[in-house]
Amino acid sequence: MKITRYEDVDNICKDMMKEIGSIGTGNAATALSSMLQTEVRMEVPKVELLGFTEAVDHVGDPEDTVCCVLVQMEEGINGMMLFLLKLDFINEILRRTLGKEIQDYSELGELELSAVTEVGNIIISSFVLSMSSLVGVQINLSVPAVAINMLGGILSVPMAEIGHISDKIFMIMGKCSIGGQNMESNVLMVPDIESLNFLMDRLVRPYE
Amino acid sequence: MKIARREGTLITYALGSCVGITFYDPMIKLGALVHILLPEAGDNAAGNIFKFADTGIKETLRKLEVFGGVKSRYQCKIAGGAKMFEMSAGIGNIGERNVKMVEKVLAEEHIRVMAKDVGANYARTMLLDVTTGTVKVRTSGRNETIL
Repeated sequence: MKITRYEDVDNICKDMMKEIGSIGTGNAATALSSMLQTEVRMEVPKVELLGFTEAVDHVGDPEDTVCCVLVQMEEGINGMMLFLLKLDFINEILRRTLGKEIQDYSELGELELSAVTEVGNIIISSFVLSMSSLVGVQINLSVPAVAINMLGGILSVPMAEIGHISDKIFMIMGKCSIGGQNMESNVLMVPDIESLNFLMDRLVRPYE
Repeated sequence: MKIARREGTLITYALGSCVGITFYDPMIKLGALVHILLPEAGDNAAGNIFKFADTGIKETLRKLEVFGGVKSRYQCKIAGGAKMFEMSAGIGNIGERNVKMVEKVLAEEHIRVMAKDVGANYARTMLLDVTTGTVKVRTSGRNETIL
């Protein structure tokens, strides 16, 4: 069955996204581990199709400040990838790359922000790379953009992108531990409907 | 979209590229707050009509009229329409397009925008106190301001 709206997504499609999510986050963990030179563990991520308010609730309060790295995908698969991280994750990165910690987001200078963006970029890129080799298609990525602001405002960006066709987005929620410390991180994959069908064509429909 | 009469506060949290529009009729203390995500519904729009500036504003005005609101008395204020990410591609401008569309629709309805806090790169929470008609805007790391 061809998917025309996100609301049509069935359990098979969700399972496919779960598989992509778990391969993707696994690769991202490996990349992160080699960058931070420490052990990184990742739980099998939860994949859910969520409405705007639900998606916000899963991460926190809409007025909570979060940091988000955003990359756009083009060519083989079109859409957006977002990586959301909070202060604990940021501090873990800063401690291991720059040897410092911050108390508040306002202390993030150019150098700190650049380190955080780079980690986000690595996580997203390795996630996308594994997806690209899984389906055998080239995916081009944009230069990463970063924002530190209210969670609700940040999530309105992917919602606006797909707002014409849907009220829902795919959220891949993973818990990871860096050097034994548990922390939450959220990857949002927002493929457009055409790309979602393309993924289904490659990974699911031939075996049905 | 939310409507309240005489008492209460209408709130919409963390408007990013979205735009919040408040209408207030001081004579009967009637207030409405609508939060739009995109400029135009177009032909193939799915879901909630309050998501779009054109259909959302018109439907809100219709509802207000049902509650006894009179258009010429409305105090209208807008907030939001930020550009959350600095991107080279086109998606980043959705906030600006939203604000333009909201202003266009309001002009067509002959409603003057009394105050606005739009653009820049940060999210805003918008509050309308229905008892007094005061509109406040809250942002991360900045003081609450009265519009």
